[in-house]
Amino acid sequence: MSVKGWTGKIAYVNLTTREVKSIDSEPYIKWLGGHGLASALFWDFCEDKTVKPFDPKNLVVIATNPFSGTLTPTAASRVEVTGIGAFSPNEWYTRSSMGGQIAGGMKRAGFDAFMVTGKADSPVWINVVEGEIRIEDASDLWGKDTFETQSAIADKLTNGADYGEWYKIPGSKKKEIMTRPAVVCIGPISERMGRIGTLCHDANHHAAQSGFGAVWSSKNLKAVSFCGSASIEIHDPAELLRLRRELYVKRDYKIDNPDAVPYDPYSETHIYNIPGRGNVLANFSYLPHRPESCEGCPSACRSTFPDGKGNESYCVSLGWGRGNIDSEETGRKNSDLLNRAGINAWETGTAAYLYSLYKRGIAGPGKKVDTGSLDFTKYGTHEFSKELIRMMVEHEACGAQLADGLVRAAMEWGTWEEDSATGELAHPQWGYGEHYSPQVETDWSFGSILGERDINEHSFNFWVYWMPRIALRILNTSPLLTAKETVELLSRTSGGMDPRCWDYSEENAYSDYRMECTYYYRHWTRVWIQSLTFCDWSWGGCRINLNDPYHDYYIDLDDYGCRLYKAVTGIDMTKEESYEIGRRIWNLDKAIWVLQGRHRDDEVFADYVYDRPNPEDSPYPMMIDGEWKWESGKGRTLDREKMEDFKTRYYQREGWDPATGWPTRKTLEELGLKEVADALEKAGKLGAANE
Amino acid sequence: MNQEEKKYPRSKGYLLIDTKKCSGCMSCMMACSLAHDGAINLGKSRIQIMKNPWGTYPDHDIKQFVCRQCEDPDCLKACPVGAMYVDEETGIRMINQEKCIGCGKCRKACKYQPTRIVMDLEKKVALKCDLCTSTPYWNEEGGIKGKHACMEVCSLKAIEFTTEMPETEDAYEVNLRKSLHYARALFPIDDEGMQPAKEAVAAAGLRPVGESGAAWASESISEEDIEVAEKEGKE
Repeated sequence: MSVKGWTGKIAYVNLTTREVKSIDSEPYIKWLGGHGLASALFWDFCEDKTVKPFDPKNLVVIATNPFSGTLTPTAASRVEVTGIGAFSPNEWYTRSSMGGQIAGGMKRAGFDAFMVTGKADSPVWINVVEGEIRIEDASDLWGKDTFETQSAIADKLTNGADYGEWYKIPGSKKKEIMTRPAVVCIGPISERMGRIGTLCHDANHHAAQSGFGAVWSSKNLKAVSFCGSASIEIHDPAELLRLRRELYVKRDYKIDNPDAVPYDPYSETHIYNIPGRGNVLANFSYLPHRPESCEGCPSACRSTFPDGKGNESYCVSLGWGRGNIDSEETGRKNSDLLNRAGINAWETGTAAYLYSLYKRGIAGPGKKVDTGSLDFTKYGTHEFSKELIRMMVEHEACGAQLADGLVRAAMEWGTWEEDSATGELAHPQWGYGEHYSPQVETDWSFGSILGERDINEHSFNFWVYWMPRIALRILNTSPLLTAKETVELLSRTSGGMDPRCWDYSEENAYSDYRMECTYYYRHWTRVWIQSLTFCDWSWGGCRINLNDPYHDYYIDLDDYGCRLYKAVTGIDMTKEESYEIGRRIWNLDKAIWVLQGRHRDDEVFADYVYDRPNPEDSPYPMMIDGEWKWESGKGRTLDREKMEDFKTRYYQREGWDPATGWPTRKTLEELGLKEVADALEKAGKLGAANE
Repeated sequence: MNQEEKKYPRSKGYLLIDTKKCSGCMSCMMACSLAHDGAINLGKSRIQIMKNPWGTYPDHDIKQFVCRQCEDPDCLKACPVGAMYVDEETGIRMINQEKCIGCGKCRKACKYQPTRIVMDLEKKVALKCDLCTSTPYWNEEGGIKGKHACMEVCSLKAIEFTTEMPETEDAYEVNLRKSLHYARALFPIDDEGMQPAKEAVAAAGLRPVGESGAAWASESISEEDIEVAEKEGKE
């Protein structure tokens, strides 16, 4: 491989024909890796992009990038997963991602990406060792939970070696390593085609929000394991080591140097670069534990515990179904069950919605929504969650519908229409639960409706939502930064865009400022978070650098990203070039959705977003009467007409046809996507020229 | 002290570790192989990390393993070709790559489990921690007066360098978690690593930590809800 950081090979497996081959990575370098690489591979190797998720022709890609398995802070561990998703009722081509040690593991096993299509005639797992790909019988793994599955595969590959023991790489007489194989697998919920099934790795790393677990299950694919000892070549080792250290000094928590980091409310609100605080808002101060990291990550946002319960667990899995009594402990125990079953914890409102139906008399034993053995007096306890999870896994009573996600369940129960209008079931778009108020935090909601899922990107969110919320609403103190300072810093980190791009006032909601913010963010996250896989939390969330030793709080993440890219690959890339690559990837994704049938008329929120006043009283930066203030967006709704006008202007900004939302030939060709334009034209779905 | 032990001058440098602080990120392994060999290869790192994501803290989840620069180095004594030697100036136990034949006898002779010697099978040589004496791909001086790549990239500061030989085997593992700041990040700072952080914070008279947890509190069951539920259950 001419470019460092890449292994040079991409694995392709067709389970129907049992064809296994390696493809040259070289032509894909321009897609950077991660999402860009995955979308380009999906475009080239999924012959019919209009198939349904469980069609054997669906193709699932797991993609690394040049940073995988290197010292690039926060970017070393993550892979991007794409394919036609089973979770959303719309079944778009979609994405998910996960960390752990999977990205480095894939490269050590010799591959930049892994693709699987077709359907095996009986359960299989795929065994990748030192560049060789084998399809193995998984009949003894089918039925095992995600922990048992990974353990069984690792046992086979390590010949039963204990953790911390050297083991011989399978097939090698002499080569010994200690680092364990990286395994991705599906759990029991996916085996029964539950669409909330994840791809699970280690204790709590999931490609969760996509339904890819059920897609793998439809292919009879239980797991993929990567084992190997390949070197990852680095263009400029000394520069990479230097940058790693420089960034540590500049942006990371000064762990043994108390005077260097201000305290209170910093340590409460600054959750990104303080080890262990990725448990986010859980309070484990009563429980001894250690910070735990994904591969190569300095942030160590997860934890392991004395009983091993809830190891590596994170915000939503710790929040699933828990009440206020003994909540952290309930969270740890619930999380373990979700992880073992391979359930997407972001369906975090599952228990609460069922309880709501119960209180309204719609759900109960033997009722329309049959709750079977569930005891609602125990709602909020681990016991309740345990029973509910069991029912979902075993497709018992209402668990059978909930295993496909709340929206599909509500559609089946006939409660969707009413509850999505009132907001009782607050899932604003594409079947995904509300993450932040879609009426107020519109860079999030507009990004989601213009895409295909809940965007789950916190790079602005932490500063405009969590920092002021925790300080003003919980700790009853002033936020570290004023509203004006916050937006000015966000502006600085985004190439000097106007600070009003982060004005969340009602007056500004549909403005060109907000449109520019949305436009920038769609491209920025596609390249930096989803393709070069810098962690959304630990990198993107550090857009404002509270740990700056000079208390300047400014950090040019993109400049560092480009320098790291150069150090690893040897390729020069400017920030501007990176955003253009992001725009190219975003347009390719859009073209795939259009082939699947997407039209601007689809890009409409659930009714409650327009009709029910936003109930959340949370402060955002807003320009009110010429002054920046932290103000609440409570009571806000979106206006249908203004939203449609916003879409028209956004499509024009993207160079898409405003009548349909489809990309035009001119836009696609400008991005080097002529063959994509040809494919859209052939399908009769090329946008009309944008006059 | 027997005659054999007197043959070798002590190393003037040692790495100490806090196995209760290590986050298992393996950055030290990447930095070690990168600084020494110019590419990242975890199998060739002279420091190794054991990580079991399902293991129980503190003994069965994460551990570091690194050469202890033994006073009586079995690895050195096992070398059949004289490739292993003690650096005259620093006392660091070294391998002469030119002389090493890659027989692996040093790897087997290491008295620790897992062995602290790693093999480069392509070059047919053994590798061990040289305290960064020879790091051609890193623009920093190593050795006993310089920097150490593993420490430089360890964000948790779970590795420490000392010039004093630890008195006992146990003394290679130390408590590097004594800063109250670590307790305010919710982690234990006592030697055993088992004291809840809030006790240390309270003992120091600092404001309690973890209050922001309230933001994540989900809907609780009200008395009224329980009554409704019980009534439903009876019907």
